[in-house]
Amino acid sequence: MDFAFLATQMVSGFSLATLLFLNASGLTLIFGVGRIFNFAHGSFYMLGAYFGYQVSAVWGLPFWPAILVAGAAAGIVGSASEYLFLRRIYGRPHEGGFQILLTYCLILIFDDLVKMIWGSEYKSIAKPPGFLGAVQVGDVFIPTYNLAIIAVGLLVVLAAWWILSRTRAGRIARASAVDREILGCLGVNVPLTLTVVFGLATALGGMTGALAAPLRSVTPGAGIEIIIDSLIVVVLGGMGNFWGAWFGAILLGEVNAFAVAFVPEWSSLFSYIVMVLTLIFRPEGLFAPARIRKA
Amino acid sequence: MKSRKIALWIVLMLVVFLPSLGFAQEKVIRIGALYPMTGRSGLYGMDSVAAAEMAIDEINAKGGAAGYKLDIIFTDSKSKPAYAVRVAERYITEDKVHFLFGVVSSAVGLAVTEISRQNKVIFIGTDHAATELTLDNFQPYYFRVSNNTFQSMTAGALYLKELQKEKPWKTISYIGPDYAYGHSQLDEIQYNLKRFGVDFQLVSKYLPKLYEPDYTSFITSLIKDKPDVLVSGFWGGDTVAFIKQAKAYGLFEKMLYFHPDAGGNYEVMSALGAEMPAGLVLSARHHNNWPDTELNRRYVAEFKRRTGRYPTYAAEGAYAGIYAIARAVEKVGTPDNTEALVKALEGLQIKLPEDPDGFTSYIDPQTHQIVQVQAIGVSVPDDNFPPAKMMLGKWKVYKAEDLLPPKELIEKRLKK
Amino acid sequence: MDLPRRYKFGLLWTAGLLVFALVPLLMTSRYQMNLAGHILVWGLFAVSFNMLWGVTGMLSFGQALYYGIGAYSVGLLVTRVGAAWFFPALGIGLATAALISLLVGLLVIRMTGVYFTMLTLAFAQLAYQVTLKWRDLTGGDDGIQGIIPPGLLADKTFYYYVVLAVVFFSIWVLKRMAYSPFGLVLRCIQQNPERVRFIGRSVRMNQLRIYVISSLFAAAAGALMAGMDSSIHPDMLYWTTSGEVILMSVLGGINRFFGPFIGAIVLILLEDVIGAKTEFWPIVIGSVILVIVILFPRGVVGEAQHLWSRFRGDSSQRSPA
Repeated sequence: MDFAFLATQMVSGFSLATLLFLNASGLTLIFGVGRIFNFAHGSFYMLGAYFGYQVSAVWGLPFWPAILVAGAAAGIVGSASEYLFLRRIYGRPHEGGFQILLTYCLILIFDDLVKMIWGSEYKSIAKPPGFLGAVQVGDVFIPTYNLAIIAVGLLVVLAAWWILSRTRAGRIARASAVDREILGCLGVNVPLTLTVVFGLATALGGMTGALAAPLRSVTPGAGIEIIIDSLIVVVLGGMGNFWGAWFGAILLGEVNAFAVAFVPEWSSLFSYIVMVLTLIFRPEGLFAPARIRKA
Repeated sequence: MKSRKIALWIVLMLVVFLPSLGFAQEKVIRIGALYPMTGRSGLYGMDSVAAAEMAIDEINAKGGAAGYKLDIIFTDSKSKPAYAVRVAERYITEDKVHFLFGVVSSAVGLAVTEISRQNKVIFIGTDHAATELTLDNFQPYYFRVSNNTFQSMTAGALYLKELQKEKPWKTISYIGPDYAYGHSQLDEIQYNLKRFGVDFQLVSKYLPKLYEPDYTSFITSLIKDKPDVLVSGFWGGDTVAFIKQAKAYGLFEKMLYFHPDAGGNYEVMSALGAEMPAGLVLSARHHNNWPDTELNRRYVAEFKRRTGRYPTYAAEGAYAGIYAIARAVEKVGTPDNTEALVKALEGLQIKLPEDPDGFTSYIDPQTHQIVQVQAIGVSVPDDNFPPAKMMLGKWKVYKAEDLLPPKELIEKRLKK
Repeated sequence: MDLPRRYKFGLLWTAGLLVFALVPLLMTSRYQMNLAGHILVWGLFAVSFNMLWGVTGMLSFGQALYYGIGAYSVGLLVTRVGAAWFFPALGIGLATAALISLLVGLLVIRMTGVYFTMLTLAFAQLAYQVTLKWRDLTGGDDGIQGIIPPGLLADKTFYYYVVLAVVFFSIWVLKRMAYSPFGLVLRCIQQNPERVRFIGRSVRMNQLRIYVISSLFAAAAGALMAGMDSSIHPDMLYWTTSGEVILMSVLGGINRFFGPFIGAIVLILLEDVIGAKTEFWPIVIGSVILVIVILFPRGVVGEAQHLWSRFRGDSSQRSPA
C-alpha cells in the first residue's frame, strides 16, 4: 500500500462523504428543529434530480442556476406537503408512527408522479462544462466535479452554522426545537416556522439530488435507496446536529472507502457495524445534541 | 365527522367491489404476466409489457393462435418474491391462466418457478438470467426465452481469448452487484476462461451492493489494481452510474472495460448520451442495430412507434415469449393440454428479431433454455437511435451452439 | 369490566375465528385462502410488534430480524435436513430468536426513543447483509425454494388450519398478557417509567421480557410463512419488512389490541386488490392511506369504535391504553 493510494482513497471517501452529508443535512435539520422524521426525504432528493433534468436538459438553463431552481422547486413541494398534510398530525400521541406512515405515503405518491410525468427511462444531466476532467496532485487523481461537490458541502455546513447561530431566524429555529409553546407565547408564528424549515430541508434534499444527478442515474425509486444511508449519518452525528452530521458522513465515507480497499468482500457490512458500535458506546451519536432537548 | 364516515365508506366499497369487476371470455389463451413496473427495474418491466402487448396485437390481428385469441394480465411484481408468489397463486387459481409469464429479477423467478412446479402450470421466463433456473432448479414446466448469464459469459470468454492474440492481456478484475446475478457472472467468466485454456489472472473482485449510488472508492481501488481488463456484471442504472463516475477518473483509458451480459443494453446508451465513452466492449441480449435484418428493423421501428422510445433487451424477451406461446398452441391446437404444450415447447423453433440471417432460435429440449446467437460489439459514435449518441459496432458474432454449457456440466447440475 | 362487555369480546373472537375458518369452505379459488393465510401471519407479526410499540412504547424498526430467523430456521432445516424437521425447526427457530433477542435486547433496551429505534434498525440491517453475504448457507439473494412441510401439512388447506390455530392461539396468549398485571406494568413503562421504579418494578427487566416475547412471536410468524409460500428470501429481513408492521399498526390503530391485525387486513387487501387493477397502485394506495391517516387519528379500529360509541350515544368511552 503506497501513500498515493491511501491519499486517493481518502479523497474518494471524502467525496462520498460530502454527498452523504448533503443528503442527510435536510433530514437532520428538520429533525432537529421540528422533531419531524421525514421518511420521504429521499423522494425530495429524487424530485430535485428530475427538476434539475427538466430545467437543464430540457429547457436548457445552465447547470449551476438549474441546481438552484431544482432545489427551490423541491422546497416548494416540500413546504406544500408540510402545509397540506404533515401539519395535520402534529401533537397526536405516537406522532412518530404517524410521521412514518404519512411520509411513506408521500414516497409512494411522488414515485408514481415521477413515473407518470417523466416515464420510467433513466434520465441524465450532463456535467457542467469546465468540470469534466480531473486534477492531478502527485499521483492522486481528483475529478473536478467531485471537488466542486466537496466545496458545495463545505459551503452548506458554513451557511447552516452561520444561519443557525448568528441570525434571528436561526435562533427561532433552534428555540422551536426546545419548546414550541413558549415560542408561540413570545409571538413567533410557530406553524409558519415549521413550514419554512421543512421547505428549506427539502430544498437541501432536492439540490443534492440535482447535484448528484451527473454522477448517478435518475430513475423512479432513487429516493428509497439513499434514505437508510442518510439516516445512519444523522444518527452517527447526533440527531439534529449539523456539524455532527458532517463528521458522521466523513466517518462513514472514509470507513467505506477503506473497507472497499482492504476487505472488499465485506465492505457493505461496515456502515451498519459503525452504526451499531456508535450507538452502543455513544447512544446519542458522536456529537450528542444539546442536553436541553432531553427535557 | 361526516367526512370521515364518507371516507370510510369509500374505502370499504373499494375493497369489496373492485375484485368483482372481472370478466369472462371464450376461446382465449390467458397469460398471467409478472413484471416490475415501479422503482429502478420498472423500465425493464414497462418495456416488456409494451413488447408483449405488441406481439399479442400482431398475433391477434392475424386471427390468433389455432383460433384462440391471446389475452394477457399484467401485475407489478414489485420485485418482491413473497408478493409475486401471491400474485402467481391468484393467476393460477382465480384467473385460470394457461401460462405464467415474465419476471425480471432472478430471485422472483426462482420463487415463481416453484409455484409453477407445484401447480403444473407452464412458466415462460423472459428476462431473468440466473443460470440455475434452467440447470440446478430445473423443473419441467419452466422455459426461458432469453439468454442466461452462462451463455453471455461463454461468448465473453471466447471474445477475450481471441483478444489475447491481438493485444496480449494477462490480468482481469471483476466488478458486479452483490447478489446472485453478479456472483454467477464472476464464477462463469472464470470457469469459461479456464475451459478455453486462456492464461489469465484475477487480480481483484468487487461486489458493491445492488443500486449502490456511489462507486468512487471502488473506482480508485480498481485503478490501483491495474488490471488489463475490467469485467463488469452490472445492469441498468448501476452501469450508468459506474460509467459516469469512472469516466472522470480516466478509468477507461487505463483498462479495457468489458461487459458482455447487460452492458450494451440500450438504456445505458440512451441515459449516457454524449457521455458514453468510445471503445468499451459490450453486449446485451438484443441489440437495436444488430442484426440488420428486415425483422429486427421492423420490430424496433414498431416498438418506437408504439411507445415513443427505443426498446431495451427486456422487451425482446417478452416479445419472444408471446411468440413461443402462440407457436406452441398452434402446434397443439389447444392451450388446455399442458403436457402436450411442454412437448411442443421442447425444441420449438421461433424466428426472432435478434436472429441473424440463416439462424433460428430454438428451445433446448433438455434444459428448456433458448439457444441464441450472441454478438459482442464496441461502442462507436452512432446517432441513429436518439437520445443515444453511441451505439455498438465492430461486431464479433458467436455461434449459438458454442455458448451452451458442456454436457458434463449440464448433467451434473441438472442432477442436483 | 362489566359482563356484557366480556360477552361482546367472546362474540367477536368467535366471529373472527369463524370468518377465517370458513374461508377454505366458501372460497371460489385457492388464492383467497392463500390471501387469508398471509393476512393471518402478518396479523400475528403486527400484533406481536405492537406489544412492543403500542403497549410498551418501544418503537422497534428491526423486528424483521426475528421474522427472518423464524423463516430461515424452517427453510434451512426442511430443505437441507429433511421435511420431518418442520416442527423441530420451528422450535429451533424460536430458541434462536429467543437467544438472539436476549443478547440484542440487553444492548438495545439501554436506549430510549429514537435511539432505540435506530439501534434495532442497525441490528436488523446487519443481519440482512449477513444473510445476503453468507451465500453458502442462506443461498444469498436467491433465497430458498421448495420448502414443503411433512405429511398432512403439505396439504395447503390443512396447513391453513394449522396456521389459523397457531395464530389465534398466539394472539389469545398475547391478549391475555396485554391485560395481565404484566401488561399493566408495560403500559406504565410507556406512560411513566419513573413511577414503575417507585413501585419497585424494574423497567429494564420488563422491557427486556417484552422484547424477547415479541420477537418470539415474530419468529413464529416467519416460520409459518416459510411453510405457506414454500420459498423464503432475504427480503424478509430487510427494513421494509419491519416498516410494514409499523404501517399496519398505525393504520389499524396503535392503542387498540386488534388494531394492528385490522391494519394487516386493510394493507394486504389494498395491496392485492389495487395492485391487481393498476400499475399505478402506489399513487392510489398512497392517497387512500394518506386520507386515512389524516382523517382517522385513532386508526381504523379506533375510529370505528369511536363512531360506534357515538352512534350508541355513549359518551363515557375510555381508551384501554
